[in-house]
Amino acid sequence: MSTFMGYERENGRIGARNHVLIIPLDDLSNSVTQAVENNIYGTRAIPHPYGRLQFGRDLDLTFKTLAGMGKNPNIASAVVVGIEDQWTQEVADKIAETGKRVDAISIEGSGDIKTIEKASRVARDMVKEASGKTRKEFDVSNLVVSTKCGESDTTSGLASNPTVGVVFDRLVDEGATVIFGETSELTGAENYVARNCATPELKTKFQKIFDDYQADIIKEKADLLGSQPTKGNIKGGLSTIEEKAFGNIQKMGTRPIRGVLDYAEEPRAKGLNFMNTSSAAAEAVTLFSAAGAVVHLFTTGQGNIIGNPIEPVIKITANPKTYNSMKEHFDLDVSGLLNFEYDLKEAGNRLYNTMLKTASGTLTANEILKHYEFAITKLYISA
Amino acid sequence: MATKFLAHKNGDSVGVATNDISKNEEVEGVYMDNNQRTNVKAVDNIVLGHKIALKDIKKDEKVMEYGEPVGKATQDIKKGEHVHVHNIRTMRW
Repeated sequence: MSTFMGYERENGRIGARNHVLIIPLDDLSNSVTQAVENNIYGTRAIPHPYGRLQFGRDLDLTFKTLAGMGKNPNIASAVVVGIEDQWTQEVADKIAETGKRVDAISIEGSGDIKTIEKASRVARDMVKEASGKTRKEFDVSNLVVSTKCGESDTTSGLASNPTVGVVFDRLVDEGATVIFGETSELTGAENYVARNCATPELKTKFQKIFDDYQADIIKEKADLLGSQPTKGNIKGGLSTIEEKAFGNIQKMGTRPIRGVLDYAEEPRAKGLNFMNTSSAAAEAVTLFSAAGAVVHLFTTGQGNIIGNPIEPVIKITANPKTYNSMKEHFDLDVSGLLNFEYDLKEAGNRLYNTMLKTASGTLTANEILKHYEFAITKLYISA
Repeated sequence: MATKFLAHKNGDSVGVATNDISKNEEVEGVYMDNNQRTNVKAVDNIVLGHKIALKDIKKDEKVMEYGEPVGKATQDIKKGEHVHVHNIRTMRW
């Protein structure tokens, strides 16, 4: 059984990073969180445009996402900054359920400058405390790993996605938790995904998510079906939407689906989980990180450069032109699969080892380049 | 003989070119699931990323890739032919 060096949190979850997170509850609080990030080493702010006049499921998802980021085991402790104290405290309380230290600070009645000072002082103490924590050896079964692809081309379905599939199978067999998503991109292979659900209940749950997505597309009168595969896909050799979808789902591997999750929902079942997500890279990776994933495996053909503020994003390509022209963005090149230099099993070993090293502290390209995309999924208009 | 295509699963009716393949070229490919090798003589030019038929496919027969049907033949396809939108289509619409 493999191990990695991680940070144990108060609730027994194991993190791959040790950040102090500065969370703005709303758009008005972005300035304060960015100032604190600038002042205090080891902190990370996650500015975003929402949190005001949202309602119902949409509001719930925004707060669930913000609290989820704070709860993620890659976070040692957190400061929540909001304009009003009530909502700020509610998100902080959700994070506090994990047992980690969290402070809620509101701006109304103090103004930005005093709030920046107060939050900076709190964050300074949190960083001091977090920096004293050391990595310890943990079984790989403690990991929660997510995957997504972007700017795909034929090298994705042929090489980089199957490589992730090999790693996902191995992680599942070793007792870890893995998550894939991209509801829209499953079109053409949705029946295969449904067949792979471990129970009839999970299958029904998955089918409802997929049908709801299709209904949304019809409601907006968008013709996503007739336009797939795209002209670029066809030029690259993809002939049908089924072929495109099967290329995508190579990432999920071959094990049964043990959990079907709503947006940003924390997986309860070990093994393979599906999460309802957009196929937009930043939105999907944000939802995975808010659900507690600590390392992400991202494949690209043409060169999507997505990152995330708290979940290291391992970037993999099998396209040698993309790798050579955008080297600084990549953590692993598996183009050797296409030159017959090594086989799929070996490509899987290389990615697995990269994943273990990343979980143990080796920085990913996205972290070094400060690619910290944070994108909350918005479900509908605000009031 | 040059190794020039990959097929996902043994039993697939198509492979994917990992290099440009020329008409009349005899090429070798590898099944990714078991590393078994197979050869085909190309009937058409097939560019990187495009599919080559690994066996004869009858009109209306399902085209197998990834061990799954990914479309249906709209005409008879001979082993070694280029397989794309001109001779297969989606089964969805």
